[in-house]
Amino acid sequence: MIGSFRKKGLAAASAVIAVAGLALTSVPAQASVPGVTANSVKLGITVPMTGIAAPGYSKVAPAMKAYFDYVNANGGINGRKIQLVIEDDRYLPQEAVIKTNKLILRDKVFAIVGALGTANNLAINSRVRLGARGVPSLFVNTGFSGFADKKKFPTIFPLFSSYAMEAKIMGNYIKENFAGKKIGLIVQNDDFGVDALKGFAASGVKFDETIKYVSGTQSPATALTWVQKLVAAKIEVVYLFGVTTATAAAVGVAAQAGYRPQWIFGSVGADATTIQTATTVPVALLNGAISASFMPDAADTSDEYVKFFREVNAEYNKGVTFDNNVLVGMNGGMMVANALKAAGRNLTRAGLMAAIESKGSTFASAALVPLAYSSTSRVGYTGYWIGKYNATGSLLPIEAKNVVYTTDSGNGPVVKTTTKRPALPPKGLPQ
Amino acid sequence: MKRTFKAIAVGFTSAALVALSLVVVPTAAQANTPVCATVGGIKSCQGRTTDGAVYALQAPLNFNGTAFLYSKGYRPMISIPGRSDVANSSLAEQAPGPDAATKVAVATYLLSKGYGVFSSGFSKAGWNTDSALKTNVELIGIWKKEFPNTKKIVAWGESGGGFMTQALAENHSNLIDAAVPLCMVGGSVEAALKMAGDALWGIKTFFDPTIKGGGYSAGTAGVVEQLTDIGKIAAALTSLSGAVATGAWPATATAVPAAVKAAVPSRSAVTLVGQMAGLPPISANIDGVSGPGDPASLPHAQFVLGAAPAIATLQNMQDAAILGVLLVADLEGINGGRVFDNTKTDYEAQLGDAKAIYNLALSGNDAADALLLVLKGAPRDAADPAALTKLRAMVSHKGVVNVPTIAMTAPFESTTPGGHVQWLINANKANLEKAKTAAVAAIRAGKPRPSTTNNLMVIWNFPPDKYTTFTSAGLPDTTRPAANGTKHCNYTAAQLTAMAEIGALAAATGKLPNTAQARILMRKAGGLSFDRDFEAALLKFYANE
Repeated sequence: MIGSFRKKGLAAASAVIAVAGLALTSVPAQASVPGVTANSVKLGITVPMTGIAAPGYSKVAPAMKAYFDYVNANGGINGRKIQLVIEDDRYLPQEAVIKTNKLILRDKVFAIVGALGTANNLAINSRVRLGARGVPSLFVNTGFSGFADKKKFPTIFPLFSSYAMEAKIMGNYIKENFAGKKIGLIVQNDDFGVDALKGFAASGVKFDETIKYVSGTQSPATALTWVQKLVAAKIEVVYLFGVTTATAAAVGVAAQAGYRPQWIFGSVGADATTIQTATTVPVALLNGAISASFMPDAADTSDEYVKFFREVNAEYNKGVTFDNNVLVGMNGGMMVANALKAAGRNLTRAGLMAAIESKGSTFASAALVPLAYSSTSRVGYTGYWIGKYNATGSLLPIEAKNVVYTTDSGNGPVVKTTTKRPALPPKGLPQ
Repeated sequence: MKRTFKAIAVGFTSAALVALSLVVVPTAAQANTPVCATVGGIKSCQGRTTDGAVYALQAPLNFNGTAFLYSKGYRPMISIPGRSDVANSSLAEQAPGPDAATKVAVATYLLSKGYGVFSSGFSKAGWNTDSALKTNVELIGIWKKEFPNTKKIVAWGESGGGFMTQALAENHSNLIDAAVPLCMVGGSVEAALKMAGDALWGIKTFFDPTIKGGGYSAGTAGVVEQLTDIGKIAAALTSLSGAVATGAWPATATAVPAAVKAAVPSRSAVTLVGQMAGLPPISANIDGVSGPGDPASLPHAQFVLGAAPAIATLQNMQDAAILGVLLVADLEGINGGRVFDNTKTDYEAQLGDAKAIYNLALSGNDAADALLLVLKGAPRDAADPAALTKLRAMVSHKGVVNVPTIAMTAPFESTTPGGHVQWLINANKANLEKAKTAAVAAIRAGKPRPSTTNNLMVIWNFPPDKYTTFTSAGLPDTTRPAANGTKHCNYTAAQLTAMAEIGALAAATGKLPNTAQARILMRKAGGLSFDRDFEAALLKFYANE
């Protein structure tokens, strides 16, 4: 009887041990998390370092790394130094897929950060299957609103205010400020453009002439056909919602043709430094053009974040001219550092994503607009301020400084708000 | 000294293989009675199984007790001039390989190492897995009777033979000790039918609506219809290949409105068909990242983003569409009616993110939408419900991995891309999760704990990152041999023998080899990667589930 009881007890104990063993195997230990050691965390980024989109964009990843170097020199995050592996995708989706696979398989990165380009991120997500692998892709460098769809992109966290938000806010601005004028639109014939058209439709703005171009076909020759159409339609205000090379081609050809409409540029295609380095078009041609941004202007040294990042750039990114691309790279780095800090010492991929969902809306960053992360929202920044270019390519507020418009990527209202950005944390480090 | 010995051994076994073909095959009346001869230290036997399938058995006199049962892949039911000869369809093939020389090299290697090799030509060509499964079961018995000192059996097979291998492992795990499915069809034949069928229907709709594409007649008339279709497909693809730069449409593209043809280049329709069907974006000679001239120039980017996807699709379509004709006709014959059904297929959904990723190749959203509109308005293929029911009752996989299984596949190959194996990986994961839950319940109930061991290892055959070369005119050279990891089952002898060695290790121990052992063998072979974290794109058939 005793023997029998003992046997049963042993069997039960074995069962408990076995069940516990099974349960334990499903909980990975800290040491087994890819890219994470006791004193380091490895991240990866794909960006165009060479190729057609390299001018401008090639500065983003080194700037992010420079900020991480600064963080590491100040003790790292939660005792871990941040390593960043930079892979050149040449702005080609297939290359981005190959390089992201290498980051995950060869380099064993903990997360992808700041991957650049809408098409590239779509390719990475579907071809590398980030969601199925559970690999976080933080703060992607694109404003495509679709990435906020958590069901479709379970591990992607957008950062930029969306193109749809921008178009809606600017659509309202056009209605209020250019009533009675003939308005034209040049827009990219892809998801970038679809997002813009969605935002314009939500604002109710109507265009008298809409010209669509396929990305990769923009050139002075194509731009000439746009200008001819705009002139023929007597368009007085032209909104060019495209990439920088399209902006440069249109502005250059229009100037040559003596066509001087009121230009409005989408935020993507209006980086003065890129126009200066990648094209032969003088920046002065931007003078008077209207655009929108969610970041402070890189030349605004009165902004505490800009001032701080300029100092980091001088020390850790030597020889690189500080511009909007550097600012975006460093700001992305700060967001990543915030997320790592919020995730705590026991770092897991799921924990990192949960930390952004729970605390991301309070992260300190340079943008002048609020963040909207929550357990139900993957939306990052939520608005824009409107500015006008001067002759040196700086975007200056068209209204009072810090007037920001917020909205969503759907049919929600545009709200004028004097938002208060979180102050730069001590030493520019996540707290 | 060692080298000399190896060379002699290879010489002997090669001679033995040649001798094998001279052995007279017994008639069906002599079923199960192999005729054997020993030449050059190799005992070779031939015979027929009870269903009439020709088989061949070979083992060296120093047979080490481990034998490889090879299942060859899909062989057409009809002869296609310049591509396949139906006379070869019933031959037993002893080992995998993209050509006869590789097959001989692999079999020769195995025999020289003391392994036995055996295979059957199966009793019928075409999609024959239901009967082949029975043939293989019988053949294992024949082998063991002839070579009673057999200790381990490794089943391996290519393509449709990979499907058979997995089916054998699922249904008769007691007969084999390890499985090595190569470039396998995974899950069900319906998945392969969908990819090939979608590609075929797309070509028909855009480029030649006189292509029959289904509903083939029985007998000789049906053969003529298939060959006519294959000829039309070849003509359309040739015409399209010559028009990538100009975007001209073939004269046979009569179902596409003139306005669409004027506004959208034909290469965009080619890209759309490839992407909606799920064909890989790279091919035998197109790596998807190389372009002519200065990499920082616009023409370079325009080639990579605008032209390369269409050229890759055209190369892959040569296999996919022709397989589509053969498979549709074959499965219609087996099941007594039409089996491809796209009446409910949402091709826009299947195109998915490719619309953005290949936007320049598709000539922008408006062009892609115009092409999708053509597909929306085109007549669809409806399956015969009874035939479809029969098709779905054919042998399929459950995704249960009962024996150590090492699968090898190229994620971007033209005919059975990685989505087939990805299905198996996912199904195995789901089954293991269920097994773990059952194990917990069993332990709690004091019952014997069912196995929760993972028996699946997948080895990926990645192509090199860059392999496209350009002519002096700046055009991609499509005459070069296909890059490893692109064309269907395009493995090297070294890769195949590495897989055999890994399979033998698994059979010997009854478990998956440790990754260090596998990596040593893979490194020697080159072009292979083992990584649990890699995920291949699912086939459209499974992605829609």
